[in-house]
Amino acid sequence: MSDRTALLTRRRATLLTVAVLLCLPPFYLDAFWLRIGLFSLAAAIGATGLALLSGTAGQLSLGHAFFLAVGAYGYTWLAGDPGPGLPTALAVPLAVLMAGLAGGLFSPVAGRVKGIYLGIATLALVFLGHHVLLTAESVTGGFNGRSVPPLSLGGFTFDAGDELTVLGVPFGAEERLWFLGLALFAVTWFTARGLLRSRPGRALAALRDSETAAAVMGVDVARHRSAAFVVSSMYAGLAGVLLALAFRRVVPDYFSLVLSVDYLAMIVIGGLGSVAGATAGAVFVTALPLLMTRYADQLPLVAAPGSAEGAVGPTEAARYLYGAAIVLVLLYAPDGLHGLARRSRDRLRRRRSPTSDPASAVPSPSPPAAAARPKEHTL
Amino acid sequence: MNDRTTTAPPELAVRDVTVRFAGLTALDGVSFTVAPGSVHALIGPNGAGKSTCFNVLSGLCRPAAGTVTLGGTELTRLAPHRIAALGVARTFQNIVTTQGTVADNLMLGRHALTRAGFTASALRLPGARREQREHLARAREIAELTGLGAHFDAPVGLLPYGDRKRVELARALCLEPRVLLLDEPVAGMNAAERARTAEVVGELRAELGLSVVLVEHDMGLVMRLADEVTVLDFGRPIAHGTPDEVRRDPEVLRAYLGTDATGEDAA
Repeated sequence: MSDRTALLTRRRATLLTVAVLLCLPPFYLDAFWLRIGLFSLAAAIGATGLALLSGTAGQLSLGHAFFLAVGAYGYTWLAGDPGPGLPTALAVPLAVLMAGLAGGLFSPVAGRVKGIYLGIATLALVFLGHHVLLTAESVTGGFNGRSVPPLSLGGFTFDAGDELTVLGVPFGAEERLWFLGLALFAVTWFTARGLLRSRPGRALAALRDSETAAAVMGVDVARHRSAAFVVSSMYAGLAGVLLALAFRRVVPDYFSLVLSVDYLAMIVIGGLGSVAGATAGAVFVTALPLLMTRYADQLPLVAAPGSAEGAVGPTEAARYLYGAAIVLVLLYAPDGLHGLARRSRDRLRRRRSPTSDPASAVPSPSPPAAAARPKEHTL
Repeated sequence: MNDRTTTAPPELAVRDVTVRFAGLTALDGVSFTVAPGSVHALIGPNGAGKSTCFNVLSGLCRPAAGTVTLGGTELTRLAPHRIAALGVARTFQNIVTTQGTVADNLMLGRHALTRAGFTASALRLPGARREQREHLARAREIAELTGLGAHFDAPVGLLPYGDRKRVELARALCLEPRVLLLDEPVAGMNAAERARTAEVVGELRAELGLSVVLVEHDMGLVMRLADEVTVLDFGRPIAHGTPDEVRRDPEVLRAYLGTDATGEDAA
């Protein structure tokens, strides 16, 4: 028992340290880095939702961009003009619920169609959504989109409006939004891990591994499939809200099929079915193109943005890189960054002899055989 | 026999069940009754329809005709998860466990007995956490009972075959079943593992007083455990009775050994 208490204390200490470290960036980094961080946080929230659906429940979704759009546009419309012009603090949860509702409306399909077939079915949502965003101009602003009203929470506004200085650092929109993003991400982390480690999470994992076994163990298959879809949509909606606040403008072209594929890339690179993996993948896929754009002039083989035709721009280079990352992950670490980290940690623990060289503990791709998930089917 | 506080399991009655798969009659008018608290074995050569019969009992397969009743409840119209909620648990011929630890698998067995939904679990509400704790304690008890206590937190994928097979049994028990359907519980096991599993099934029946329907090719095990035996051949019931009666039945000998069941040969 005392062992467990010690473990719990250590875990709490780690959590506290991480929380403190995550609060530091606004005091040391400029807006560019904070914006990368914000987009990464938003992507991590959305990727967590997709990890729950695809990684845990085994349901493929290509419609994630649609639900991100529902969250982003939902918030903008609910809090804006034209729109009901609700208080922004109320518009956030309502936009998330709206995304959940949209997922619920799709649940007759999401509950019945499984795996890759659901992926095809959700493809329709992205095209439908994109079309609506372009044509329903009074709500969405059409091709040019709409500007997003800044979030105001109890008199505190998340924008650069009023002067605010904390510990000698001027707090603009990015600094303030960083903390909002952090709070929303903490909520995501807490709830998603709670879900995964309890009754619904186990039921979803059982559904993925064997639908038959899950059903005879008492899991209502259709209900759990739909619920997973709704929950995943709500995380996407929350990510959409945060993205809208960070971009300060929503445009339809952002919420395209490419975005859905980006999210799939995140959870594959990160490792299916874990919140930490989804987060790592989200940071990788989000930050890479932004960083490459910024440092294009210092990178070999990468042309500056907008340079001559035929040259590989930073965005394309980033795409090549993460395409390569996906192939490498699938070949050498099918359980993604998360699995890689876990295995190298295990190896470190086993090799705790004093002679061991820390450099040799660098995660190296190991044969995937051990990582492959044991799957057995019946019927 | 029923020394538990729970009531005796209801009678499971199968009446004239017929299952057809596109022209092939997998089950043809099968009837048998599992008396409360008894072990009823279902035997027959490969392809006789034993597993199909289990699939009907657990709701995975809907019969073309016939009824299955548990107590007063008709099962053939119910979805698998509803049948599970009534206390009918089963294991599979080929192991079907899910990823994760033994504990995860056993807790899946508690699914029908627990309530925590998506919202309560996501918010980690005290009620949901208490429920999880209580049921985890019971799952641990069942792991001890089935000899998996030492592996409770081990990933299922790393366990040897016999243990994985037992995880399935333990998971079914976690449903606190009133009727337990065991599909070849000792197939592929070595002698020691067989003896161990037979012992566990015997104990269960004595301690929990549940009804067991057993499909098994190991005749030694069937003769030792079963109170009653129904023999299927090509989907038709060909014999019924106590293990001793069945063993001497000429029809059964014919189905199993292929002998010509005329009077002289049977003698």
